[in-house]
Amino acid sequence: MLNYLFRRLNLLFFTAFALSIFAFMLALWSSSELTANNGNYVMLYAQYMMDILQGQWGASIINQQSHMVNGLIAFSSTLELCLVALLTSIIIGIPLGIFAGLYRNGVLDYTIMSIALIGLALPAFWLAIITMMLPVSFALALPIDGDISPLYEVPNITGFQLIDSLFAIELYGLDAFFDRLAHLILPAVVLSFFLSSEIIRLTRHSISLVMKSNYIKAANTKGLSVLQIVFRHVLKNALPPIIPLLRLQLNTIISIAMAIEIVFSSHGAGVWLFASIKGSDYAALPAAVIIISGFILLSSIIIDILQMLISPTTRRILYADK
Amino acid sequence: MLINNEFNEEKIQSPLQYIWALFKKNNFAVFAMWVSILLVVIVLLADVIVLHSPFVQYPEHLLLPPYWIEGGTTEHIFGTDDLGRDALARLIKGFQYTFGGALLITCLISLIGAVIGATAALTKGIKASILHHLLDALLTIPTLLIALILIVLFGTSYQNCLIAVSLSLLPQFVRGIYLAIVSQLSKQHIIALRLDGATNIRLLRFGIFPNILEPLVTLINQIFTMAILEIATLGFLGFGTQSPDIELGRLIADNIELSFLSPWLIILPGLLIFLTIMIVNIFTEGLRHAIIQGED
Repeated sequence: MLNYLFRRLNLLFFTAFALSIFAFMLALWSSSELTANNGNYVMLYAQYMMDILQGQWGASIINQQSHMVNGLIAFSSTLELCLVALLTSIIIGIPLGIFAGLYRNGVLDYTIMSIALIGLALPAFWLAIITMMLPVSFALALPIDGDISPLYEVPNITGFQLIDSLFAIELYGLDAFFDRLAHLILPAVVLSFFLSSEIIRLTRHSISLVMKSNYIKAANTKGLSVLQIVFRHVLKNALPPIIPLLRLQLNTIISIAMAIEIVFSSHGAGVWLFASIKGSDYAALPAAVIIISGFILLSSIIIDILQMLISPTTRRILYADK
Repeated sequence: MLINNEFNEEKIQSPLQYIWALFKKNNFAVFAMWVSILLVVIVLLADVIVLHSPFVQYPEHLLLPPYWIEGGTTEHIFGTDDLGRDALARLIKGFQYTFGGALLITCLISLIGAVIGATAALTKGIKASILHHLLDALLTIPTLLIALILIVLFGTSYQNCLIAVSLSLLPQFVRGIYLAIVSQLSKQHIIALRLDGATNIRLLRFGIFPNILEPLVTLINQIFTMAILEIATLGFLGFGTQSPDIELGRLIADNIELSFLSPWLIILPGLLIFLTIMIVNIFTEGLRHAIIQGED
């Protein structure tokens, strides 16, 4: 286990190094103050990294705030959208995937898989525009842009506005929370359309692999009911392998979330970057690389280690040499 | 598999023939294949087959609805936009840029990615580890962010949009093909081929390639789907083709203020992207099933 941990941390170190060099090159290109040193790039890199670690990321020319503050606030909003969408798509996707995997090649399977195929083929930004037209067409009382109504001035504590609005409970009661939730519904629906299709596909694949194995046949011959088989044998073996596959999709999910946020003009990472580029504030790009890629890198390594801890079948590779 | 031809002698089919025979049984997939070929033909002949030029304005027909809706004419089948330009012609022209670009990117990525992936899988030591870590670093940057960075660095143009999309998709393809090759390397037939003294090229051609057809088809399909979606997304954000050139995503962005006046100007391009991806997916899904059945 220690050996594995060491290898993972090694990987983390090297990848973070490559990323930081990438961000450094971008920063070198985007700001003029860094090139003043007489051409010693190693020293310059060391100084840049010291600045980054101390939180001095330079100020934005748009609102004079630090890029770190801007980026973290924007990215936490994106992350909130991703987490809400992930929650709903797990609730929708995993049961559907289990049904499709259990009754493989049946009518139910074909129906569920066609829906999943449609979800993967729809362009997210287009779906966002179509859903923006829905509240007007069907007279639904749903907000279609922004992230919270300007009536509520929610203080920024965690960056997740759903949680922040709960902190402001003595100011507005639960109104701010429900307002934020209403603003999140449409973007989350669009994002979870993609996400739940992905989860259905992965779950179905994983379940149908497990259903072919011999211990399921043995459980069948023992006379267990379908429910007993599913809960006792199938889920334990089929669900853990989905997690690393979903982890690989993390950057796709975030980039789709960014595109959706631009359409709904809610202040996430997408809008932040878009506005920075339009305002030729290019120093936001290295900040975005550090924040977003750093988040993806750290979370994927944490997921890997957690996976190793919870799932015995992946732990097997620690002991057996191929 | 044995087949009987007209001379009534038993002949062994080649694996490709067998896969083709299995594929032909799937009517849906064959239909999707012909439609895909038709789409490629449309892309190649887009400038010839349109009835109206996509850039000519007809001031007497502004914002016409499609012909099946009250007020539309058969002269402009899908209606016209706010400057009176034929919607169908613009749709086909935009489709040429989106679909053609995606095809180009997919071919390019498959070639370059196969070389890099095979090198990373078959070499050991420092070369493999550098390739690996570099790819890991690239995989952590979201595709939209890579595209934005490249576009900021090199300026906004359709070519740069294609380069950005292919650079952001390349690591995924390389990773997929790397995993597919590595999973084959420990198989007994590969070891036997190695003991015979086969070079790496021969190993790839005769030992590995026939066995990774299924993951390869899945990967190429995935890359193609992502390429279409990302070209359209970048075009929608204004980082793709510059006017007067059009592209499906840009077509949607241009008409976004007209969403309540004439919604079909937004619905039709999105529907076209969706249908294209669906048809290509059905085609490759059929191919994949045929390959899996052929391997059994």
